[in-house]
Amino acid sequence: MIEKNFEEISVRWVIALKGEAEEIIKNYALKRVATTPFPVYKNRDFDMWLILSGIGQINAVAATTYLYVKSDASYNTIWINFGIVGSRNFKVGELIQIDKITSSDFQDNYYPSPAAFKNNNIECCNLITVNKPEKLFENDGVYDMEGYGFFSFAKNIAPYELISILKIISDIPGTDLSKIDNREVERLVSKQIPLIEKVLENLISLQNILFLQLRDPNYFDEICLQKKFTFSQKVTLRKYLTQWQARFPLRNPLDEIGQRMTASQILKKFSDNLLR
Amino acid sequence: MVDTIYVEDEIIGTKKAQEIISKFRHAKVISIKRFGEVFNPSNQNFRIQKINPALILAKKQKGFVLDAPKGFGIGDQNNYYFSHMYNCLYDCSYCFLQGMYNSANYLVFVNFHDYQNEIEKTIKKHKEKKMTFFTGYDCDSLAMEPITNFINDFVPFFSRYKKALFEIRTKSINNTVFRKHDPLANCIVAYSLMPEALAQILDKKAPSVSARIKNMKYLANKGWRIGLRFDPLIYCRNWKAQYSELFANIFKEIKEENIHSVSLGSLRFPKSFFNKILQYYPNSEELSFLRTNDKGVISYDQSIENEMNEYCRLELMKYSDARKFFSCG
Repeated sequence: MIEKNFEEISVRWVIALKGEAEEIIKNYALKRVATTPFPVYKNRDFDMWLILSGIGQINAVAATTYLYVKSDASYNTIWINFGIVGSRNFKVGELIQIDKITSSDFQDNYYPSPAAFKNNNIECCNLITVNKPEKLFENDGVYDMEGYGFFSFAKNIAPYELISILKIISDIPGTDLSKIDNREVERLVSKQIPLIEKVLENLISLQNILFLQLRDPNYFDEICLQKKFTFSQKVTLRKYLTQWQARFPLRNPLDEIGQRMTASQILKKFSDNLLR
Repeated sequence: MVDTIYVEDEIIGTKKAQEIISKFRHAKVISIKRFGEVFNPSNQNFRIQKINPALILAKKQKGFVLDAPKGFGIGDQNNYYFSHMYNCLYDCSYCFLQGMYNSANYLVFVNFHDYQNEIEKTIKKHKEKKMTFFTGYDCDSLAMEPITNFINDFVPFFSRYKKALFEIRTKSINNTVFRKHDPLANCIVAYSLMPEALAQILDKKAPSVSARIKNMKYLANKGWRIGLRFDPLIYCRNWKAQYSELFANIFKEIKEENIHSVSLGSLRFPKSFFNKILQYYPNSEELSFLRTNDKGVISYDQSIENEMNEYCRLELMKYSDARKFFSCG
């Protein structure tokens, strides 16, 4: 379970239907914050959001885009597409993490990062996204109607390592689809909550590594507030402050800045100090 | 341990691909159309992938043999390099690969014969000229030998072309393959070296420098020719003492006559590579001395570069003939 007040955590769920999302909503105490154009839920204490996209790839792309904007998701955000799928290779109720994504409509395939599914002991397999509910399951893998669309957008807004597609097998050849109701789906999902939490824990540990990489060096914000730096000067300042931290851990760079110094003079001062 | 292997459909049935796959019995094999699908996408994180890289097996389509950069060489007129593999088993903080590639996964091109055909054509085309073929710049060929058998395939190949030098650049202490073959006069086993204290910080996952020296001694005694590569030279607070000690340690163990060549090179990066690397290692004091020079390249200040080169050359001249000295770029 995610600890409260965990400031760096940032998670977005994209799920097609309410029945598939219900247990996730309960487990992470998400509250509805919007109804249209898509129902959106969020946790009050930490940065976790969930959107109900509806069925199909277009809805998945639209909902992911909408949530990205509405929730002001940063680059370092975990994105998970979760839902039920059909397959001829697995038993009903099994949780599957996707390692290859193909589409009946598009040539390009996508490959989620193995880092996202390592150490989980969860079965991995390929996903085939189709436009109509699949009954024949002619190929190996699992069949859904959203995963490809979700990933095709998510890969542009977050690192591969933080994007995951998780599916639960709901139907196999011969299943009467009319019998898969909300209660049945909720029952299947609730059994897998501990494993879903484990996947999320692994993703959060990767998110922490990324957070450290993307963090601005100490004093960057303070110095930017004091003087006006252009975009390229900020890039240089970020580099110099990173080097400064490594070289002079006990020297405060703010002490190097005189009141009347311009941005260029500040950069020159840092550069000269770092030369040897 | 590799637990995911991506394999191009085109080569999955080849002997080499199957040979490699069979070495990872528990790995999940995922078929791909082209390696670029997995290796090239941006938005991958090199450092996270480096924790546990996957293996990608592919077919190289073109560009088997490339001209070495101008000024690069160990005495021959024509210099070429070729890469049967991208990315390395080791994890050196200053490695340019982490700035160059989006992915840290090991990419192995299994069509060794196509490389050999191109090398053969190049040798025949310039048969009057002396030439060197470098390998081990986009990977450490020797470190990955238990998986690829690359050197085992290429040493017999180069034994047919005595005029062409074959340099294997490495930090590995794996000597099994060199025990299988007779020493080859036109093969140089070239060791990347730096002072031990620096290597302990920077050359992560690589054998210690003392182990590398021990292995060089072993190979030299077997009759293999050794290259010493101080590339890059790393600037730090007491670099003079550290490099002097390193040179003394090497020549205490290895006879000068076993040394084919010595080369020195400065630490340099294109700007975009360096920005990524600095993000990965924000606490590295060694990276804090680097600057953008007037050509837009990240390097030490020219005065530092000159001083290091001059000092190291003079120190090395105490032990070795200066005619064996070359500069890397």
